[in-house]
Amino acid sequence: MLEGNFWAIKNVRLTLIAPLIVATASVSFTPRAEAAGTVAGSTIANTATASFTDSGGNAQTATSNTANLRVDELLDVAVTSADPGDIPTLPSGVNQVASFTVTNTGNGSEAYGLAVTTALGGDQFDPTATSIALDTNGNGAYDAGVDTVYVSGTNDPVLAPDASIRVFVLSTIPGTAVNGDRGQLSLALASKTLTGAPGASSNGQGQGGGDAVVGTSGGDGSANGAYVVQAASISFTKTSNVVDPFSGSKIVPGSIVTYTLTATVSGTGSLTNVAIADNIPVNTTYVAGTLTLQGAPVTDAADADAGVFVPPAGAAPGRIQVALGNVAASQTRTVTFNVRIN
Amino acid sequence: MRILILLFLILSPVSGHAADAIALDSSVFVEREVPAAGGKTKTVLEDPKVVIPGDRLVFILQYRNTGTQSAKDFVVTNPMPAPVAYQGTSDTVAQVSVDGGKTFAPLSSLKVRETDGAERAARAEDVTHVRWILSEPIAAGAQGKLSFRGVVR
Repeated sequence: MLEGNFWAIKNVRLTLIAPLIVATASVSFTPRAEAAGTVAGSTIANTATASFTDSGGNAQTATSNTANLRVDELLDVAVTSADPGDIPTLPSGVNQVASFTVTNTGNGSEAYGLAVTTALGGDQFDPTATSIALDTNGNGAYDAGVDTVYVSGTNDPVLAPDASIRVFVLSTIPGTAVNGDRGQLSLALASKTLTGAPGASSNGQGQGGGDAVVGTSGGDGSANGAYVVQAASISFTKTSNVVDPFSGSKIVPGSIVTYTLTATVSGTGSLTNVAIADNIPVNTTYVAGTLTLQGAPVTDAADADAGVFVPPAGAAPGRIQVALGNVAASQTRTVTFNVRIN
Repeated sequence: MRILILLFLILSPVSGHAADAIALDSSVFVEREVPAAGGKTKTVLEDPKVVIPGDRLVFILQYRNTGTQSAKDFVVTNPMPAPVAYQGTSDTVAQVSVDGGKTFAPLSSLKVRETDGAERAARAEDVTHVRWILSEPIAAGAQGKLSFRGVVR
C-alpha cells in the first residue's frame, strides 16, 4: 500500500525522488563498556525524527526535542577473602597476613573506609589486628615497607568503576592458641559518600553532579578470613638389634648391632629442615656403607644424598647425620646403620 | 528536463509554506515497581529524578499534526541512545535496525555478525534504531503516541 503510494507520487513530482525514509538524528554520547554499567554523570539523550509527505506532495521532516537524562552514581562494592583457605599460623606469630580483594561494582569513582573486626563467634581465639595495608605495588602479595599502611580518613582507597585493590590485614596470634585453633577476622568497608538501604539516595552527591544511590550491596560489605594454628611436633625413637658372629644375639666382640632411628611428626602442618644425627657408641666401630634412609642405602660420603658418616676426630666420636628436609604431620622417617663391637 | 526543473522551482515555496506541520515530542520515564494494596506491587511510570544502571526506561514520542492539511507517508525514526539497551515495544508497526539504521526489519529476522565472523540472531541489546511506518495519513489536528522500552546499560 505504502510502496504503491510512493511510486504513484514519484511519477508525478520530481521533488519526491527523495528517500522515503529519513533516518537522521544526533546522539551525543559514547558509553564506556563497563561491567558496572554506564558511568555516573553520563547523559542519555534521546531525539527522534519524523518524515512525511505534506498535502502538496513535498517531503518534509520534523525533529523532536531532545529528552536528556543524567545517569546517577550507583554505590556498590564487593569484598572477598583472597586467601585460598585458612591461613596457617603459629602461637605468638606476628604480622600474619590475611588478604582481601575489594572491587567497586558501582558506576562511579568512590572512596572506601576500611575497618577490621576480630571479636567474632565460632572460633577459638581472637587475633589482634595490628595494621591494614594497601597493595601499593599491585603485585597481590604483602611487601613490608612497600605496601602503604592504611590510615582511616587519610588514604582511603579510591576505586574507579570495576577497579579492584588487594587489602592486607596484619595480625598477631595469641601465645595461648594451641594446635588446631581457629581465629577469624572480618574486613568491612563502606562507601564514603553514602551507605544504607538499597535505593537510598543523596542529592547531588554522585560523581558527575547527579545523585548518589545506594545499590543492592548497601554501599558497604565485609568478608571473613581465618587463621589456623598448625603446630607440628617431632618425636624420635631408637631401637637396636644384635647379631653375634655365631648367628646368635649375644653381645660379644665382633657382634653387629643394627640401630633403627625413627622420627615421627605429629600435630598439623609440617616441620622444615628436620635432621637426625647420632654418635657412634664407644667401644664400637661404624660398619662402612650400612647407612640407610627409608630402607634405601645412602653413601657415607658428604655428597648429594641425604646421609653422611663423619669419622671420629680426636676426642670426638664418629657420627652419622641424615638431612630429612620438610616432613609433614603424621609422616615418619626411618634411618638405620650398623656398628661392630670392638 | 528543463520543464521539470522549472516545475520544482515553482513548487518550492509551496513546500516551505507547509513546513513543520508535524510536532514531535520526545519524553522519557522510569518504570518502577511500587507497593500496592494487598501486598501486591504495581508498575508506575515516574519522572526520571534518579536513574542508575539497570533502571527500565520508557521512551514516549507524541506526534501531532499542527497544520491544516493531512500528512502521509509518516515515518518516525529514533536512534537508540548509546547508554540504553532496547527492550522492545508494543507498537506492532515498529521495526528495528541493528546496523546503524541501514536496514530495518522485525528483530526476530535480523542477524548480527560477531567480530570473529560468526553470525548469530540479533538480540534486543543490538538494536541501534527503532522505526515506525504509519500506513494511514495523519489528518490535520490528529495526534498519536509511539513508545519503546529500554534499560540503562
